Amino acid sequence: MDELYLDNIDEYVNDHNKIVTYKWLSLTLGVHVNTAKQMLFHYLDHKRKESSAPLHATYLVTGKWVENGNTSHKVTVVREEQLEDVKSKMSLTVSVHVYSVQKASLKDSGPLYSVDYDAVKDNLNSCSRYSAIKCADAVPFAPGDTRPAGDSLQFPPPDPNQIRAPSFDGPGNQTTSKPAAKPQPKGIMGMFASKAAPKKQEPGKEIKVEQKEDTTTADVSKSKSASKSSTMSNFFGSQATKRAEKTVKEEETSSSSVKDKSESSPPAKKLKETPNEEKVKETQPKEVKVKETQPKEEKVKETQPKEEKVKETQPKEAKVKVTKEAKVKEAKPNARSKSKRKEPSDSEEDKMETKKRRRIKKPQSDSSDDDDVIPDSPKQQEMRKPPPTPERLLKEKIVSQPNECKRRKRRRVMKSRTFMDEEGCIVTEKGYESESYSDSEDHVPSAKASNVPARAATGKREDEKKSKKKISPPANKGTKQASIMGFFQKK
Amino acid sequence: MLNISLLILNFTMKIKRYLYIYSLTTSCKFYRLSIAQDLNFGQVVADILCEFLEVAIHLILYVREVYPSGIFQKKKKYNVPVQMSCHPELNQYIQDTLQCVKPLIEKNDAEKVAVVIMDKEHHPVERFVFEISQPPLLSISSDTLLSHVEQLLRAFILKISVCDAVLNSNPPGCSFTVLVHTREAATRNMEKVQVIKDFPWIVADEQEVHMPEPRLIPLKTMTSEIVKMQLYVEERAQKT
Repeated sequence: MDELYLDNIDEYVNDHNKIVTYKWLSLTLGVHVNTAKQMLFHYLDHKRKESSAPLHATYLVTGKWVENGNTSHKVTVVREEQLEDVKSKMSLTVSVHVYSVQKASLKDSGPLYSVDYDAVKDNLNSCSRYSAIKCADAVPFAPGDTRPAGDSLQFPPPDPNQIRAPSFDGPGNQTTSKPAAKPQPKGIMGMFASKAAPKKQEPGKEIKVEQKEDTTTADVSKSKSASKSSTMSNFFGSQATKRAEKTVKEEETSSSSVKDKSESSPPAKKLKETPNEEKVKETQPKEVKVKETQPKEEKVKETQPKEEKVKETQPKEAKVKVTKEAKVKEAKPNARSKSKRKEPSDSEEDKMETKKRRRIKKPQSDSSDDDDVIPDSPKQQEMRKPPPTPERLLKEKIVSQPNECKRRKRRRVMKSRTFMDEEGCIVTEKGYESESYSDSEDHVPSAKASNVPARAATGKREDEKKSKKKISPPANKGTKQASIMGFFQKK
Repeated sequence: MLNISLLILNFTMKIKRYLYIYSLTTSCKFYRLSIAQDLNFGQVVADILCEFLEVAIHLILYVREVYPSGIFQKKKKYNVPVQMSCHPELNQYIQDTLQCVKPLIEKNDAEKVAVVIMDKEHHPVERFVFEISQPPLLSISSDTLLSHVEQLLRAFILKISVCDAVLNSNPPGCSFTVLVHTREAATRNMEKVQVIKDFPWIVADEQEVHMPEPRLIPLKTMTSEIVKMQLYVEERAQKT
C-alpha cells in the first residue's frame, strides 16, 4: 500500500482538527480495522520523527489486572502519558494498540465516543464489515423476528457430570476452539517492542509485549480481547444489529453484549470485568466437546486465558446460566458475575419498559398533553385541600358529593291556588306548599311552572286550607295580567 | 384509612404522571414537532437553540477550565456524553441567562450570543461567538429534519471539545459572562419587560466588549431549514 494514507490522516488530524479513531478511519477509508490501527501507528511514528506539531494519542490496552486479590480482564483506553504506567501494572498485557490520534489533548473520553457515533450510525447495517471478529454461524435475524436479546436459543441441558468435572484440559482444548476466519494470530511486531515495519496484510492481531508461557492461548485471547473491544464499540452504536455481529467466539459477543448493557453510558471504555468467568458460565451448557465447564473459581482464574477461546459458543441465555450455576458454585466471583448477569437483563428490561412506556406515552403526550396538564392541576388542588384532617374532610367530601349532583329536597314554597269556593266563585289563595325540587332546577321555581303542578297537587287540599287563608291579592303569574308583585317574585 | 391511602396514592400517581409527561415533553421536543398541531415553530426553534446553548456553555466552561473539573458530571445529550456542571448557582445563572435570551431568539432579534472569558482584570481574553440567524419563513417540513439538526448540534459539541488544540491556554483566575448582540433596538423592549425578577440585563461596558487585536478562529458552521449557526472563537493575541 502506498503512502497516501499518511497524507489522508494528516489532513484529518491537522487541517480538520478531527479526532481520528481507528474505527472511524477504517469506516472512512474502507479498510480493515487492523490495517487502520497500523496506519495510525505509522502516522504517529512518522510525525514524531518529524517532530512537527504536537500530537496526542490514546491507546487501547487489554490484559490481566489483579486488584484486591481479584483477577479480571481489563480493557481500557489510556492516554499516552499513562500508557507505560498501566502496562506495568497489568500482570499480563495481552494487547496494546493505537486507539486514536488527535491534536488536542482530551480532557475526558466523551468525544471519543461521539466521533464514532455518527460513523457507525451511517453504516449501521455493516458497521462490522471491517471488523476482525467473525463467526460463520452468526446470522442476522430476519426483520420481523424481534426477540428480546435475553431469549435463549435451544440448548441441550448441561450434563451434570461435565459441570462438576474439576479437571481442566488445558492446551488440549485449544484444538477444539476454532475461530472461524481470522484467528491464528501471529503477533505483529509491536509498536514498542521493536521497530520492524508491520506487515499490513497480516490477518494477525495485536502486539505481544511480554513473553507469555502459553503463546497460543495468549494469542487467541489477545485476538478475542482486541476484537471484543471493537465489538463493544460496535455495540454502542447499534444495539439493533446485535444479532448481526459476527464474532470469532460468540462468547465474546455475549460477554461484550452483556457488558454493553451493564454500562448504560456508552463512553465508559474502561471495563473492569470478569468476562472469563462469564464466558465460563455462558458456554456451560455446551456442545459436547468441551469438557471442563465448571472448574472451580480459583482454577478459573488461573486458567482464564486458556478457557477463553475454547468455547465456540452460541449466545447464551443469562438466566438459564444463572440458575444452573447456582447449583455449581457459591464462590464470590460467581456471585459477582451472577449479579452482573442480572444487571444487564434488568437494565434491558428497564430499557424495554421505558421504550414501551415511551411509545405509549408519546402519542398521548403529543395529542393531549395540554389537556392532561390543565385538568390535572385543578384536581390536584382539590385533592390538596384535605391535608391535616383527611378523615373529616373526606367525609364531608363524600357527603357533599351526592349533594352536588342531584339534590332533591322538599321545601316550603309560597304558591297561589285558584279554586271554586262554595258560592261558585273562583278564589285565588296564596299558601305555603311543600314541594320537591333539585338544585339543577331554578332555586325559586317560577310561579308559572309551579301553578300547574300546584293545582293538580292541591286539588285535594283545597278544603283544608280554604277557610284559613285570606284571599290574597291577585298575584297570578299564570295569567298574563301584569302586576306590581310580579316584578319582585321572579328572582 | 383505606380511603385515605388510596386518595394519597392517587394524588402522588397523578403528580408523577404529570412530571413524567412534562419531562418527556422537554426532552422529546424533537418528537413533538413532527405532529404539527397549533405549535409555534418560533418557540420550538428557540427551545432547541436554548437547550443547545446551555450544553455548549457548560462544555466551554469545562474545556477552557474556567471552573475546576470536579464540579462537572457526565450527562447525555443528543445521544453523546457531555460535561455539565452540578453547581446549583452556576446552573441557575446559566438558565436564567438563557431564559432571557429565549424571547429574543424567538423573534429573531438575537444576532450573536457570545460567551466571553475574562481575566482577573475583566478584560476579555477569549470569546466564543454563536452567530444565529433564522430563515424568515420557518417551516418544519421533513421528519428527518430533527435528527439531522441533532446530528449537526452533535458536531458542534464535538468541535468545542477539541477546540483547545487551536487555542492558547488561558491565564488562571478567569471568569465568564454572556453577551448578546441584538439586531436594531430590541433591548429597549427588554429593559421594559423584566423577564426574570432580580436578573437584570445591562448594556455591556466598552471594556468588556472590546478586545485588542483579536485572532479569529472559526470552529463550525451549520445550515439547516430551521436555523443557521456559526461558531467561532476570537482570542486575544497575548493572553497573559
